[in-house]
Amino acid sequence: MNDKTNEPTVTAGYKRDWRTGWIVFAGLMLLTLVEYFAGTLPNPSAVLLIILGLIKAALIVYFFMHVYRLWREEKHG
Amino acid sequence: MSASAIEEHHSGQQHGVELSPEQQVKANRFGLWLFFISEIFLFAALLVARFFLWGDTRPELNQVVGLIATTILLVSSFFVYRGETAIEHGDNKRFMNNFLWAAIFGSLFFVGVVVLEWNVFGLSGEIAGVEIFGHLKPTDGVFGGVFYAMTGIHALHVLSGIFLLLVAWYNGRKNRFSADDNWGVEGIALYWHYVDVVWVFFYPALYLIGRAV
Repeated sequence: MNDKTNEPTVTAGYKRDWRTGWIVFAGLMLLTLVEYFAGTLPNPSAVLLIILGLIKAALIVYFFMHVYRLWREEKHG
Repeated sequence: MSASAIEEHHSGQQHGVELSPEQQVKANRFGLWLFFISEIFLFAALLVARFFLWGDTRPELNQVVGLIATTILLVSSFFVYRGETAIEHGDNKRFMNNFLWAAIFGSLFFVGVVVLEWNVFGLSGEIAGVEIFGHLKPTDGVFGGVFYAMTGIHALHVLSGIFLLLVAWYNGRKNRFSADDNWGVEGIALYWHYVDVVWVFFYPALYLIGRAV
């Protein structure tokens, strides 16, 4: 709890988490671009845009907000 | 109940229930998520107002500004994720750098909405033949009212999020977080991502869904 470690410790888990961040960010950007082009069509599909929004929200909630930690008994950090 | 069990029971009542650090963090997370759920009612009400009052139409808004604002917010969320990941692995320097970048991008989003979309300074100008400053006013009927209500409530959350990011950054400077003790960072990161999730739904509702009139 009181271990104030400031030295960078580049472990395999650290690298994996960074890679996950990049992949999720790339996915979010791709979906945003798809949304943009779908939305600028003459008759944009509201259903498609809502589905794309739901996928983006799910990515953020799962990977960035770690919602699964709510049910997991774990050591913090 | 044996005498020792009764004694233990009364002792527990006297001193309350002590949570382990892990249990406390879990309780904190649960409390914060309950707060997020309560806020869903606010944002959902705004979305319902939008779909009820605008229907299959929307005001003519600058699509490029909407796309750039969304991208900036996603980038800031990405930096927050990196910062949180860094402190969870004991890397305070990277945590601070990433949170500072997140605050900068969050500020860019806020300034972009206020200066470009709300056009509080009444500016006008074009880039490649496209007007970059907004023309919608809060008094422009249901279009103006709903647009300013949605972007205003969201901008307020962005502003408070920027403040919290800077508080975390300041505490990082004081070495107050570590790999094992970083709930402050996690809580603020959760809040920032939540603000991002709200925009994920607001962006298509405001800019993309419906015919521009």
